[in-house]
Amino acid sequence: MIDARDIRKEYGGFVAVQGSSFSVDRGEVFGIIGPNGAGKTTTLKMLAGLLEPTSGTAEIAGLDTETAEMRQQLGFLPEESPLYEEMTPISYLKFFADLYDVPPDVAEERMHDTLDELELEHRDRKLGDMSKGMKRKVAIARSLINDPDVLIYDEPASGLDPLTTNYVIEFTEQLAKEGKTIVFSAHNLFHVESICDRVVIMNEGEIVARGDLDELQAEYGHTRYHVYTTVDVPDGVQENGSYKRVVESMDAVEKTREQAEANGGDVVDIRTEESSLEEVFLNVAEAGTRGTRYVEEDAE
Amino acid sequence: MQLDKLLRVAKWEVTKNAGGVDKRTILVMALSLVAMGAVAAIAVSGGTGAGMDNGIYRIGVDESSPYYGVAADDPTFDIREPDPAAIERRQQELLYRGTQLQSVPQTAKERAALTELRDSTARYNDRTLARDDNQTAAFPVSVTLVYEQQSGSSQLDPRGGDSSDGSGSSDGGSGTSDSSDSSAGGSGDGSDTDTAGGSGDGGTAGGSGANLGAIGARLTGDVQGGTPSDISPPFPFESLVLAFLYIVPMNFVIQAYGSSMLSERLNRRGELLLVTPASRGDIIGGKTLPYLAGAVGVAALITAALRFGNIAPAGSYVAVLAVVPLVVLFLSATFCGAMFARSFKELTFVTVTITVTLTSYAFVPAIFTDVTPIALISPLTLVVLDLTGQPVGLSSFVFSTAPPLLTGLVLFGLGAGLYREEDMFTQRPIPLKVLDALAGGINSRRSALKMSIVLLPLVIVAELAAIAFLFVLDSVSLNVFGTNQSLGIVLVLGVIVVIEELAKSLHVYAGYEHARYERTLRSALGIGALSGLGFFIGEKGLLIARLSDLESLPIGEAALQGATLPAGLPLWVAGLLFLLPLALHTVTAAISSVGASRGRRAYAAALTVAIVVHFAYNFTVVSTLV
Repeated sequence: MIDARDIRKEYGGFVAVQGSSFSVDRGEVFGIIGPNGAGKTTTLKMLAGLLEPTSGTAEIAGLDTETAEMRQQLGFLPEESPLYEEMTPISYLKFFADLYDVPPDVAEERMHDTLDELELEHRDRKLGDMSKGMKRKVAIARSLINDPDVLIYDEPASGLDPLTTNYVIEFTEQLAKEGKTIVFSAHNLFHVESICDRVVIMNEGEIVARGDLDELQAEYGHTRYHVYTTVDVPDGVQENGSYKRVVESMDAVEKTREQAEANGGDVVDIRTEESSLEEVFLNVAEAGTRGTRYVEEDAE
Repeated sequence: MQLDKLLRVAKWEVTKNAGGVDKRTILVMALSLVAMGAVAAIAVSGGTGAGMDNGIYRIGVDESSPYYGVAADDPTFDIREPDPAAIERRQQELLYRGTQLQSVPQTAKERAALTELRDSTARYNDRTLARDDNQTAAFPVSVTLVYEQQSGSSQLDPRGGDSSDGSGSSDGGSGTSDSSDSSAGGSGDGSDTDTAGGSGDGGTAGGSGANLGAIGARLTGDVQGGTPSDISPPFPFESLVLAFLYIVPMNFVIQAYGSSMLSERLNRRGELLLVTPASRGDIIGGKTLPYLAGAVGVAALITAALRFGNIAPAGSYVAVLAVVPLVVLFLSATFCGAMFARSFKELTFVTVTITVTLTSYAFVPAIFTDVTPIALISPLTLVVLDLTGQPVGLSSFVFSTAPPLLTGLVLFGLGAGLYREEDMFTQRPIPLKVLDALAGGINSRRSALKMSIVLLPLVIVAELAAIAFLFVLDSVSLNVFGTNQSLGIVLVLGVIVVIEELAKSLHVYAGYEHARYERTLRSALGIGALSGLGFFIGEKGLLIARLSDLESLPIGEAALQGATLPAGLPLWVAGLLFLLPLALHTVTAAISSVGASRGRRAYAAALTVAIVVHFAYNFTVVSTLV
């Protein structure tokens, strides 16, 4: 559905994105994460046709990202989406529906349905008088007014309170279930972890890791083994009547077993714990300073 | 560009802004405009205004005194019963018995009252004599006074002024038709004026006086009788007021337009429009259309009010059409300003600069509609001509309107180049934004040629404005390198050279700064040559000046010497003169280009050299030909 080939963006002498390539399948939720200044927003804006790549191409549904036809199929939500504050939510959404050639009756139904789902009240109030969370809901409704196949959301929950954040993330998950193709960036990796099928990690304008969560964990994360014994072992911590030792390799598990048996005891349970995306991200960031590694596929 | 999308953006621009201005503000603005229009209308119609000086002088005079009729005809005087005690109490300023003034004016007001009575008496006598059956006895000396459109060099020109000696207009009652040279730009028909009036209504200066009342008549010199000291050149009062009426609303419109465009940039509000299927052209066109329509609509209303309110003797669609290019120019300059400004504070500075500059360009020449062909530089001159019932030829219309219209379109193009994500929301200083805008049109070396041609309307407008503002200095001589040139010509040449060299080289510099060109000597020379060639091709557009009488003025001839050739030259000389400007532009542009390829300071130095070379060339040509 989305195909980015070696897209690169330079501003004068500064390289914001260095030849990134990736593809996103129809109905997939694709996450882009990375530290500030990594090139996430620039990448999303190139996909949305807002920025022209210095080199490389980006296509959505086989259409060049700068064509009107592509934009007709796209819903874009920038990190900050200041609205026309003198308008009401209804007039604002009607305005955009008009620009997307949505028939008035369809637009009317669609915007009320979306605002209902988003639980937005006070629809006749000026946008300038609304809270940040309410404005964000209007912005999300605006991104859906043309019923797009592809959604590009840049930090959709940025700056919102936890309650609204959860609401927005859940709503995005729901959109994914409805079959929308979503490219999504967020600082909160828990959100990415919860809704993204695949992720790329960017650093200094470059994709430094990519894959689904399992693949990333396998490459950059650690599997921790919680070994429970009946007797104390070195570094063991008493927990619920047994002793627990956390190790990071099967060799260490075996060694723990031997130590327990030497002390007249035995291993009663072994549990595994995978690294979170946050840990993966930190590991990648650390690895990024030592050199780039790729996991899933070679950059085309 | 899709018309339906453009119209939708326009519709929502109106809707959005209608919600942003409260009704009280609209009401206050409307009342201000109405009040301003009413005052201007009163002035144009020659009314005596609010009559603030009615009855300010109290005169004691009875009906038997000949001064009774004088005072009764002049509303300045309040006639009272003659009463010496009232004089003592300062309740009367003047006291007459018969023809004798009974009191000696002591206070300033009493002296002013006496002066006013004497002036009023003179006017009363003139009117009385004008009604006399025996006009020869009433006016033993008759003077034919004809105001003619200025043609050729100024009569104050100490350099001889061969071109103007045929147009002398007030040399006695023998009539002037025989002395008017046919080349003098429409002055010949001034001789048809009737002898008594001297209003000049047969000439191009004519209509003004006939359409004005007391104030206007005095200001325009339409004196019906009196002594030679009463004769004074007409002041273009009517033109001034009419031009003012049209120019003021535009300044309101551009304020609203500028802030609307800038608000799209601040806080990235316009970003979301850029991801819709609407193109840049649709968005810019849609956001501009309401303001364009509003400004033209106001002009149409003013024209209709003047015409059907019997304030102006004429007025048609010509006046409205003539305003359109001016509106486009104002809006485009404001659009560029809004794209360049980083904040509302900076926008204020930019819009004030635009207002002052463009108002001067449009307003000042139009004041002199009846005086000099230079007035045709401004489209407002067409408006004044149309409203005063004077014909507007197609060539005059094209000459007045084409440069501002084309300039407006070029400015819209430059600003539109910045109407994209990566330029719209950056906070770069205005000079760098200008370079960004210029660089937006550069793709390859050949762009240098294209940009020089594209920028030519800007050059023409700037040069015409320079001529308009400097032609008054035409009469001041300056001894430069042993020549006896007028200061105006020297300054115009200087300004024109600077404008042209900047137009040829600034886009080249922008191209280098944005790494569009290779920084090699060969490349720089090639790019410079292309820029010079482009300018030369575009410069032939200056032939539009032939549509006007501008060349009848020495300063106009000097300014336009690159565009037209003197008649009667041998073919090889004509060919040489035709190609010399090409060589000049190519060489000077190449000099600047080489400097531009080596950085800012080198560009400034090279530009200075190019300017000096160009000025020397122009000055030599002008000294030889003009």
